[in-house]
Amino acid sequence: MRPEALKGHLDGMLLAALEPGPRHGYAIMEALRAGSSGQFDLPTGTIYPALRRLERAGLVAGTWSEVGGRRRRVYELTPAGRHMLDTERGSWRQFSAAVTAMLEPAPLPVTS
Amino acid sequence: MTGGPGGQLVEDYLAEVGARLPAPARERAGILAELRSGLLDAVDAYRDARLSGPDAADEAHAAAAADDAAAADAAAAIEEFGDPGLIAAAFGPGLALGQARRVALTLLVTGPLVGLLWATAATASHMGSRQAPPWQWVGALPGSLMVFPLAAAIAIAVWTALFTVAATGRATRWLPDRPRLAPGTAAVAGFGAAGADVALFVLLASELAVAPGRLAAVPAAAAALASAIRLFLAGRAACRCLTTRAALAGH
Repeated sequence: MRPEALKGHLDGMLLAALEPGPRHGYAIMEALRAGSSGQFDLPTGTIYPALRRLERAGLVAGTWSEVGGRRRRVYELTPAGRHMLDTERGSWRQFSAAVTAMLEPAPLPVTS
Repeated sequence: MTGGPGGQLVEDYLAEVGARLPAPARERAGILAELRSGLLDAVDAYRDARLSGPDAADEAHAAAAADDAAAADAAAAIEEFGDPGLIAAAFGPGLALGQARRVALTLLVTGPLVGLLWATAATASHMGSRQAPPWQWVGALPGSLMVFPLAAAIAIAVWTALFTVAATGRATRWLPDRPRLAPGTAAVAGFGAAGADVALFVLLASELAVAPGRLAAVPAAAAALASAIRLFLAGRAACRCLTTRAALAGH
């Protein structure tokens, strides 16, 4: 799937990747890949600016910590981030239901 | 991994990204530290995948091949991260917001200080003892008319700086994604502050022309010096914000 296809949805997916618990940048990327069965294959470097944007908006909180002998910036959802994730989920369900209804072939009318 | 051919590839890549990041040194160092950590995680992931692969036993015993393999792991991780220009460009909008916020906050903090110095100079020069407002001071025209543009410049600087601070913080979660807006409003705030300083200098020149003996030299000089410094710095910061805004033309 091309990165442009994710435009507008990346923030929600990053928030979802953090829902199970705190993760560092590369682990978030791996979660995106695993969660999408490899469909979402962005340039890994581009998720770091996105994480900083979410941090600026107060949706995630980042802290430096030592994990496995390496300094890593670990991100976790804030309460505002959880609320935003709920909102994004609701919007996506509505949107995808509407698009699916339009794209799926309508059943042929029964004639006798 | 910290050294070897693989480590050098990672450092070269980070240097290339860093050279394209328009950020203050401390912020750039933080970004590069995070990218380095992620890159090393990626290198580890490629190495683990290689060592658990079918050729693991052969490669693990070949010292010469190990260096090549480490370099290949690093190269794969770098390719996965993306082109340095692409990564630096992705940081651009966020860095622009940070720059605009710093400019606006600096103006909001220094503005009252400069104003206090001018108020002290005016009080020490007994301007406050005049009963009439400045535009009615006898003999002070046309300089005292600068009170109006001065008030307008201060109002523009304060409101646009406040807007910039608000639009570059938590509010970004609700605002539309318009990264060029904040550098623009920060530039307006900077030019507003510079305009206020110019108006203050005109007022000072007017007062010097009409009644030079009435000015308290030290407070007036201190206020003028503060304004001169701010005029230069605010003008420069505003120009830089405009440059940043222009660089975001594609966003």
